[in-house]
Amino acid sequence: MRESVIMKIHYGTALAAVALVAVHVLFRLTQNFAESLEYESVIANYQFLPYAGMLEIILILLSIHGFNGLRVILIELKQGRSFEKSVTYGCIGAMALVILYGSRTIFLTSMGMT
Amino acid sequence: MTRVEENKEGIKGMANPTRYGIERVAYLLMRLTGLGLLVYFVAHIAETSSILQGKVAWDEMLALTQTTGGHIILALVIGMCVFHTVNGIRVMLGHGGIGVGTPGRLDYPYKPPSQNARHKIAIYSSIVLAAIAMMYGLAVMFGE
Repeated sequence: MRESVIMKIHYGTALAAVALVAVHVLFRLTQNFAESLEYESVIANYQFLPYAGMLEIILILLSIHGFNGLRVILIELKQGRSFEKSVTYGCIGAMALVILYGSRTIFLTSMGMT
Repeated sequence: MTRVEENKEGIKGMANPTRYGIERVAYLLMRLTGLGLLVYFVAHIAETSSILQGKVAWDEMLALTQTTGGHIILALVIGMCVFHTVNGIRVMLGHGGIGVGTPGRLDYPYKPPSQNARHKIAIYSSIVLAAIAMMYGLAVMFGE
């Protein structure tokens, strides 16, 4: 993929994540901060499907943005065909792992399997 | 130092905040906050997965974060998040050609139009906004 396309994805995921993370943070402020983090309250949040869907989207957006950012930083530090390939595949692998692990929490909790 | 060596400073050259003014500081902070936020993001996913092990595990994990140290780390995350967001929007606008001025002939003392007051103000604003957000976060967390 061309680097210009990757950077457009990088900026697009950033803008979308800013809007959704703002909603995620505002959810914590709808009640007392400590109360909003209580087990029952968090479970209720996960079982509210639109919110669970939003968490899944945030997870995907931030994983793409974060690991692409890491790839950019590492490639700025050192260049070379094999280094760049390993960094790219390493970041894609780490991104996939984080998405899978986070999705597992979201799906199992929203289906009441805690 | 020869030009070739000068161009091969690696992480030392990247981390040197003194050479190119506030723009270089913003460049460095953008990368440091990005890495910090990535570490927090992965830790947050690991932390929230404890909910799958029931109320006791969740409460134990929550107790770890509800300490003075936990609050300070969260305040730093808030600051990093605000700086990364505001400075990121500045960078995006710059890459889109907004606020960088028009190209002109470079005469001594070589001040490129892209490194103008608008961008400098945006960088300082992002640092100030990050500090305000951190203070608000600390007030919310310690105010309870």
